[in-house]
Amino acid sequence: MIKLPNECYYPIFNNLQDNYKNLLSCALVNRQWCRIIIPILWSKAKNHLNDIRLIKIFLLMLNTKERALLIPFNIALPSHPIPLFEYSSYITSINDNLDYGITGWLRYNKYETRRVKNVVKFSLISMFLRTNKNLKSLNLNSNYYQFGSERVNTLLEALYDNTALNTLDLHNNKIDIEGGRIIAKFLCKNTTLIHLDLSSNNLGSEGGEALANALCKNTMLTFLYFHDNNIGSKGGKALANGFARITG
Amino acid sequence: MDNGTSNSASENETITLKSCDGIEFHIDARIANRYTLLNNWNGGESACIPNVNGKVLEKVLEWCEHHINDPQLNCGDDDSRRRNTIIEEWDENFLSCDQDMLFEIILAANYLEIKPLLDLGCKTVANMMKSKSPEEIRSAFNIDNDYTPEEEEQFRKENEWAEDY
Repeated sequence: MIKLPNECYYPIFNNLQDNYKNLLSCALVNRQWCRIIIPILWSKAKNHLNDIRLIKIFLLMLNTKERALLIPFNIALPSHPIPLFEYSSYITSINDNLDYGITGWLRYNKYETRRVKNVVKFSLISMFLRTNKNLKSLNLNSNYYQFGSERVNTLLEALYDNTALNTLDLHNNKIDIEGGRIIAKFLCKNTTLIHLDLSSNNLGSEGGEALANALCKNTMLTFLYFHDNNIGSKGGKALANGFARITG
Repeated sequence: MDNGTSNSASENETITLKSCDGIEFHIDARIANRYTLLNNWNGGESACIPNVNGKVLEKVLEWCEHHINDPQLNCGDDDSRRRNTIIEEWDENFLSCDQDMLFEIILAANYLEIKPLLDLGCKTVANMMKSKSPEEIRSAFNIDNDYTPEEEEQFRKENEWAEDY
């Protein structure tokens, strides 16, 4: 066979992107094809995060720090060899399916789900943010009750290195002034975020002002949900100015 | 068929291209107008298109001539165009050449930035892979398996989920 450069293989395999079985057969042909196909195939995995087989693979990718979080809960992590690829780096969206997947995995392994689920989810999301700088969408809607504000802040800080995020849902997380500052710092350097849901948090007037200043520097953000935040009239005024500068 | 009134070159104008093995082709200037890269080698006394031989260039230009009046697609349609794996009859016949020639055409279309022909070639190859086992694909394209058995087994396990969707 005449050797094609990789750039010709991408459009070939993209034609097969909706048929996973076909992609898998091609990936098993040889190593070169495999390396091209894995990113295509695993970009689809975001739709199947509820599959416990995927959760198992992702748990294999936790580093020492992320594993340490699970020690107090006596969770026996899968003991397979290290995965052949950094599969987590190809996931583009983290959504509610992840919750179902974690619950399913815990049930399958006969763990108590309610208490343990939060810590597994936190360590998995930490792993995703560490290994994946191309994540486009992250849904942390109502995770405060699961994580607590310190851990939400840790995750927000991990977003600094992301270069692709366009949707971030932080609705109902009790994010306070400190969290507001972290988000403000993120918004100052970020050039990709379009949707940001910060509604039902606890930013207060200082958080509102910090955000307002960041909005002056950010030119990409188009949709901001901000209701129920106790920002008061001072924070509200600052935000209004911030928006005026965006649209002006 | 449409007449290509949007092209600025008139119908009688021709340009001259030379393949890497020195074969000259006189083609409708409107073709070079559509695929700008072809213009680079227009009429050069000594200039010839590197990497593309006469046999392949003849096929590529035959395709371009047949499709001279196609509407120009804009780049935004990329994805939908690729996912649609239906191929027109003329194109299907055109590409039902031997496999080496098919790959040569893909290489040339990629090199000359003739995107619709590149897509068509890629679609044809993709169709040849459909519903085949890894072993069947290897033998169809004469490819060696360079996996170790352990590696292959681990890979299958890690990607088992994809079998079910």
